[in-house]
Amino acid sequence: MVAPGLLVLVATTTFPLLYLLWQSLQNINLAMPGMDRYIGVGNYVRMWEDSRFWGALSYTGIYTGVTVVLQLVIGLGMAMLVLRIPRAQWAFRVAAILPLVLAPVVVGLFWRTLMLTPDFGIVDYASRSLGLGSHNWLGDPELARFSVIAIHTWQWTPFVFLYMLAALAALPEDLYEAAKIDRANAFRRFMHITLPLIRPAIVVVVILRMTVALAAFAAIYAATGGGPGTATEIVNLYAYRVSFAELSLGYGAAVAVVLLAITLAVAAVLFRIRRAT
Amino acid sequence: MSRRSGSALRGAILMAVSAALLLVWILPVLLSVLTSFKDEKEVLAYPPTVVFEATLKNYVAVLAGPSSIVPNLTSSLIIALATTILSIVIAVPAAYAIARLRLPGRQPLGFYVLATQLVPPIGLIIPYFLILNGIGWMDSYKGLVLIYITFSLPFAIWLMVSYFEDIPREMEEAALLDRASRWQAFWYVVLPQARGAIAVTVIFVFLNAWNEFLFAVILGGATVKPVTVAMYNYINTEQTQWAQLCAAALIAMLPVIVLGIVAQKHIVKGLTAGAVKGSGRR
Amino acid sequence: MSKQSRQDGTPDQSRRKALKAGAAIGATVLGAPWVARFAHAQGMDLGAYQSAKINWRQAEGQTVRAAVIPASYFDNLIALAPEFEALTGIKVVFDKVPPGQIRQKAVLDLSSKTGNISTHAGDPMYLPLYAANKWTDPLENYLNDPKLTDKAWFKYDDIFEAWRKADMVDGKTYGIPYDGEMTIQTYRKDLYDAKGLKPADTLDQIVSNAKALHDPDKRMWGFCLRGMPGAGQNMYIYPSLLGAFGGKWFDAGGKIKVNSPEAVAALDWYVTQNNAFAPKAAQNWNWPDIADAFAQGTIASFIDGHSAATVIANPERSKVMGKIGFARWPKGPSGRRVSSIWNWAMPINSALPEKARQATWLFIQWAASEETQARTSFKFKGPGKRYGVNRLSMWKTGPYSKTIGDAGSNFLEASLDSLAQDTDVEWRPRVAQWPAIGETMAKIVQSALVGQVKSKQALDDAQIQVERIMRGG
Repeated sequence: MVAPGLLVLVATTTFPLLYLLWQSLQNINLAMPGMDRYIGVGNYVRMWEDSRFWGALSYTGIYTGVTVVLQLVIGLGMAMLVLRIPRAQWAFRVAAILPLVLAPVVVGLFWRTLMLTPDFGIVDYASRSLGLGSHNWLGDPELARFSVIAIHTWQWTPFVFLYMLAALAALPEDLYEAAKIDRANAFRRFMHITLPLIRPAIVVVVILRMTVALAAFAAIYAATGGGPGTATEIVNLYAYRVSFAELSLGYGAAVAVVLLAITLAVAAVLFRIRRAT
Repeated sequence: MSRRSGSALRGAILMAVSAALLLVWILPVLLSVLTSFKDEKEVLAYPPTVVFEATLKNYVAVLAGPSSIVPNLTSSLIIALATTILSIVIAVPAAYAIARLRLPGRQPLGFYVLATQLVPPIGLIIPYFLILNGIGWMDSYKGLVLIYITFSLPFAIWLMVSYFEDIPREMEEAALLDRASRWQAFWYVVLPQARGAIAVTVIFVFLNAWNEFLFAVILGGATVKPVTVAMYNYINTEQTQWAQLCAAALIAMLPVIVLGIVAQKHIVKGLTAGAVKGSGRR
Repeated sequence: MSKQSRQDGTPDQSRRKALKAGAAIGATVLGAPWVARFAHAQGMDLGAYQSAKINWRQAEGQTVRAAVIPASYFDNLIALAPEFEALTGIKVVFDKVPPGQIRQKAVLDLSSKTGNISTHAGDPMYLPLYAANKWTDPLENYLNDPKLTDKAWFKYDDIFEAWRKADMVDGKTYGIPYDGEMTIQTYRKDLYDAKGLKPADTLDQIVSNAKALHDPDKRMWGFCLRGMPGAGQNMYIYPSLLGAFGGKWFDAGGKIKVNSPEAVAALDWYVTQNNAFAPKAAQNWNWPDIADAFAQGTIASFIDGHSAATVIANPERSKVMGKIGFARWPKGPSGRRVSSIWNWAMPINSALPEKARQATWLFIQWAASEETQARTSFKFKGPGKRYGVNRLSMWKTGPYSKTIGDAGSNFLEASLDSLAQDTDVEWRPRVAQWPAIGETMAKIVQSALVGQVKSKQALDDAQIQVERIMRGG
């Protein structure tokens, strides 16, 4: 059962990879059919000089890094907090999965129109009532970058929360008793006992969250469409735009290949770390 | 016993703080709930109203109206269930084999399996479109489930491999010494322990399949029309029907929540390094 | 499984239960529409169609797959499909695709020649692309074939000329308009009357009108244009401004030039006025957002599709019923008014075998015919008013004309006049590269709107990119 399953998997994923690579070496523009031809690394050269690509890449790095760190810190913090309230924990677990379950498309739209719209949205209303004034959360490029990260973090932190909760819950009590007898304070207990023990879980969660962040599409597309301008355009979205809006399939494939390569590199590094723990 | 009452007070404060944080966190969901009971005119009222005349007509329209999402829910259910069942049935034994049997080349294989997941979805739409058309599985359940399995299988395998590698082998060793076969050791000893990990995997595979949009809209059609696409259509070309959209979104969340509640019992049994004595602070 | 896990109620059991429940629901739900269609078929009156001198049943047994966008005017058509099936013996299957994805899905299907989509709700600006690639058929072959079309009955020339022209490439028709719209000036008549204002005749007047009513502290914004980036979003309004300022898309040598002085002036006006009088959120707004805001009573005037009436003149959504006035686009410095020409054009997929294409044509002819337009609008038994029926005669007189006239003061006249006099087929450059050009321009227009870059710089950047696109790079 294992072998055929894996075989099917390898087959169905290898073909797209090869196709993608092949496409990235072509100049394919649906609008100008007569000009399709093989251009080798031409698309990659173009990418090197494409400022919009580099902008998307840098924002992707920031976006992924910040959201994963935020998710980890908040998720872990919440898990540690909730762990001390054994009785109502199930309520927290159920409530926590709600943001996860809401369809990303709806999340993006909801945040865009009902929450963050200046002068019309609820977040805006709240910030005014609190005296923080009105801000163009999705219209101002800097704020938009932050808002989009916030939306993604909002939706996915519960995953980290749940995962960390299970990981922490599995830790043996005795170690903590021993530490308390040694009169180690809470911070030291955390740093020297808890953290090392849950490091494998952290690495797993980081890898999972990173892959999701890099592949994020639906929520950003619905919330800002990559705007304002190209402020919140992550590489994934840029590839989509190039392939489907500009109909330049070869170049879009090349962008996707580069994104894949970077993702693989980062994942390989994280995998190494995992092996080491 | 001042220590006890001290910790009782601390427990109460922690509870309050946690509850407040949680409430803020799920505020958008609560707002969705509120909106789904509003009249369309009321939805965009500013300042937003909390007290209003609640109506069920959005739910009625979404469930029983001419654009009822019930067929879409069925569609989603078929896709998600098939994907989940097939993924788990293949992934769990495969992960065990990879973790235990020290297959040659299992490190690179494990990495490759994960790597296939990292291909940006955009790069996959066209090849998958061509594959499905080539084998005539376009706009069919088997076609979409096949594609979804290519996403969830690596994820499931990888999650389970991490888990299997971390649990101690004493119990299986004991069973093997008792002259049980590898398969029996897996089925009777390891699997019950792995409930937590399997439960988490089930939830997330199901969730991913349930909430997926891009591939569903391109590779689906008149037959395969999951609820994510149907929901998006409430943002129709002339207007956005917010109240109905919220009602539909909430209904669409229910199956996963139900699954989550059922499965979360198993999650608490520990996901990493479980099964050691005295574990958990329950 | 061990005894213990069976007691716990495993995911297996809940899954099985869910499957059973799902099957039960599925059976009921799948059965219901069939029963409904059967019942509906019994009470049909097909006389109006059968008077056409063609054999409706010549493609019997074929299946037409139509991809449409979610909209009430298509929902009505879907509801009416059983009549078509009874008339022709051709089965119609609909796929509702969100407007943001339908172009991509259609292009994917057409370019790979997989023939999954017989016809779809097409964007006229994509027709040059289709024609260049020979993905869809020139429809004259069908229009002029007496076996397939009864010209006297179909009255193709009754469909709005502007829309018919918009759907033609190099003199050949590639899509038949099903539903369409034009952009017109919309304002709060009650507020204008109170201050003695008249609907603007020039762009300067709309600015002064806006100034008179602009009061953001009381949640009233004077004037609003959509800002959302997209070839069909902010690039739906900017070209009208360009025309108003006398700009053109092509220079004397026939090449696309987007940074002419008129273009800079138009973009400047767009940016200045939206920043002065529109809510900040408008930078990211699409027409439903503007319509919603107007319906809530927070906008004094805007210029956008007349189909906004679906929201603002809808008692279920609008707080400003009876307070709306309409007028044509104001004149720009060049003295021109330029409205949009938008319609959903239905093409025929060339990758289909001949009989299937004939079946598709019969479907399109049926959908665009006067009788069906009537049956999906004022004759329709159910909610869903259509504001974009495709036939001039229906707009001018008769029951349709009456039902839509009540959207607001001057609605009918403004719409018809706009369509008759303010349209320009070259309002946007109809080249195969439009999707790429439209997207590029859209991003840049929005960058200017949010102040990331000045208009002149923005358009100069755009020019470089447009040149690259036209080269095919």
